Amino acid sequence: METVISQTGNASVFKEKANKILGVNLQDAKISKSYLSVAFIALLIGGTLGLLQGLNRAGLLELPSWLNYYQVLTAHGLLLVVVFSATFTIGYFYAGMSHTLGGLLPKVRTMVWIGFWLKIIGVVLVVIPVLMNKASVMYTFYPPMAADPMFYFGLVFVVLGVWMACFGGFIQVANWRKNHKGQHLPIFSFFATGVFVLLVGATAFVAVEVIFMIIPWSLGWVDTINVMVARTLFWAFGHTAVNIWYLTAVSAWYVIVPKVIGGKRWSDLLTRIVVIALVIMNITGGFHHQIVDPGISESVKYMHVFMSLAIGFPSLMTAYAMFAVFEKTARKQGGKGLIGWYKKMPWSDVRFLAPFIAMLAFIPAGAGGIAQTTNQLDQVVHNSMWIVGHFHLTLGMSVAMTFFGISYWLVPYLSKRVLTKGMNQFGVVTTVIWTIGMITMSGAMHTVGLFGSPRRTSYTTYFDNATALSWDPYLIFLAIGGTLLMIAAIMQVYAVFNLMFFAPKGETEFPIAEVEDGEAKTPYWTERWGVWIILMIIVVAMAYVIPLTDFIVNAPPGSPPFKTW
Amino acid sequence: MNQKTFGLGLFIFLIIPPVANLMESVMIIHMHMQMPILVITGFLMAPFFQSKFSRFFEKWNHNGIPGILLFIIIVGYWMLPRTMDEALELWMVELFKFISLPFLAGVPLRDSWKKLEQAGKNTVIIIFSIAFIVMGWLYINATMQLCNNYLLIEQITLGWGFLTMGIAFVIFLGYRFFFNPSAYE
Repeated sequence: METVISQTGNASVFKEKANKILGVNLQDAKISKSYLSVAFIALLIGGTLGLLQGLNRAGLLELPSWLNYYQVLTAHGLLLVVVFSATFTIGYFYAGMSHTLGGLLPKVRTMVWIGFWLKIIGVVLVVIPVLMNKASVMYTFYPPMAADPMFYFGLVFVVLGVWMACFGGFIQVANWRKNHKGQHLPIFSFFATGVFVLLVGATAFVAVEVIFMIIPWSLGWVDTINVMVARTLFWAFGHTAVNIWYLTAVSAWYVIVPKVIGGKRWSDLLTRIVVIALVIMNITGGFHHQIVDPGISESVKYMHVFMSLAIGFPSLMTAYAMFAVFEKTARKQGGKGLIGWYKKMPWSDVRFLAPFIAMLAFIPAGAGGIAQTTNQLDQVVHNSMWIVGHFHLTLGMSVAMTFFGISYWLVPYLSKRVLTKGMNQFGVVTTVIWTIGMITMSGAMHTVGLFGSPRRTSYTTYFDNATALSWDPYLIFLAIGGTLLMIAAIMQVYAVFNLMFFAPKGETEFPIAEVEDGEAKTPYWTERWGVWIILMIIVVAMAYVIPLTDFIVNAPPGSPPFKTW
Repeated sequence: MNQKTFGLGLFIFLIIPPVANLMESVMIIHMHMQMPILVITGFLMAPFFQSKFSRFFEKWNHNGIPGILLFIIIVGYWMLPRTMDEALELWMVELFKFISLPFLAGVPLRDSWKKLEQAGKNTVIIIFSIAFIVMGWLYINATMQLCNNYLLIEQITLGWGFLTMGIAFVIFLGYRFFFNPSAYE
């Protein structure tokens, strides 16, 4: 301690060290605990709705008219893809920023609390019309399907809430950098910065879509809407959002997991390049969601394949880095042989097991993503259950399971409690059930999708058509997988609230791995966020200008609102 | 692979006829992707020329201004609609494009940029911000085809490309103006 103080003579460094030694700042912990509580409540409700859908799709459950399949689908998507992921991400990164940047500034705390309540108001406004069956427009809310305006106002509040949290993060980071001139931002907060930049970038598109296009249209101020422009703006957001949740999971893979297994981080420079590359190239990837959309010329679609595949490159770098860390650490601990070292990994530790399976799942998940990015291959699977299987593997497995793994140390850290052996075992069992459930469900979805079963459709046999009937065995597996996932989700939510309120008192570490000894110093250019943001804007401008100009200049008459349900 | 070889490889890839044809088939990709990447290939190959002809660069470009002027003239020339048209019609002009952008724009840009003072760099960015916004305005509002080879819609697209890029430059200048790097670095 004293060396630290005499070296810098800086009070804020002392505060940081004190923070690390004394544990979490209680005011900051309250913020993260609130966000995480909302996240896991959303998981429970969203998971239950998911089970209802799964049972319906398998033909086992007829949903009542007052809670139909499309209402359930809309709520399930929004609660899990937006609420669970966003609140977990913000709670997790704020805990880490408080830990690595010497506690949150009072004004940042205020901002993130305002953001929290804006989001709560937003979610309530979104859920009310969904429950009233006035907004069964699904997670993508594609025009010309139009929901009650309240639904869109709710989304605006959710975005405002996210922005408050993001700008709070920027203020926190800028303040730290002013007090630590010439130093690299701690790696955890570097990830947080990248995620918050992308969150602002992504939500800006959906904000334009909702505020300037959909709200005036749903209120009847304008008669028609340009459907293709709306879809394009949506996917600039939708694609980036899921990649943000993925980047959040990746942050734990790079920073947390090496510490949990007793190792060191792989190259600091490579890690920062991965974050920068994902920030610059991500938003334009939205186009591969529109690969079978009309109105975009084939040559533009082919060029966008390149942009989408470019995002795969940092993921490959991540895969390399992760397995390098595992092997290095295991060999240091006495692991031998070409692959025999894997025995030395802490398989019985849920904090490792859950994120490890998450990483493993990303191999087929990423490969599936590359297949879908390819124009010809996507034509086979687009709008089929394959796509649903894909995003359950990416989000439900790679992202959600990493989040679960994080919760086993983050929640006790925030609550000044400890993870007991029993709870760790419980976590391992939860992980195994979730894994089996997701493999079963996602596997069934991928397969039945290849056989032509459509997505976004409640159960039907199409007048006992033979092809449609042939899907049934797979759909039963979907229901079995969904049931197992529900069991695991209940266990996971139980674990989180147990660790938050009932686990034995004690101190839990915030596990941040150090860099390898003797690693070359990371160059300072990685810190030039202003340049990365400008590059991101230029890439986005170049990517979107062709189709958007075409959609607007050659616009069809537009569509009035439709209520298809 | 070092950057000189990468630059050369990229240059060769760009001049392969199918690649060049594909990129030239869309107006905005011709001007805002092929041409800047050609400049980048020269930028990457520059160290080769800098070490081979170090005395030449020292003598003629010691403060970076001649080099950056050459860069501005070459890039400015290729921003004109007529030059793009001619590149598609006359093989001599196409050849000049493939030579001028890497070697008369990319190479001098690299040699000059580090030699320029901060004010010089800002001036260059201001010049291009204004040029991009003006060109954007021109291409969006021109009611007739400025290039024989491209349709009006492509021209408007290019205009918006210029405008958005110009806005990005202005944001960058604002960032330079409002944030003092020495407060953080």
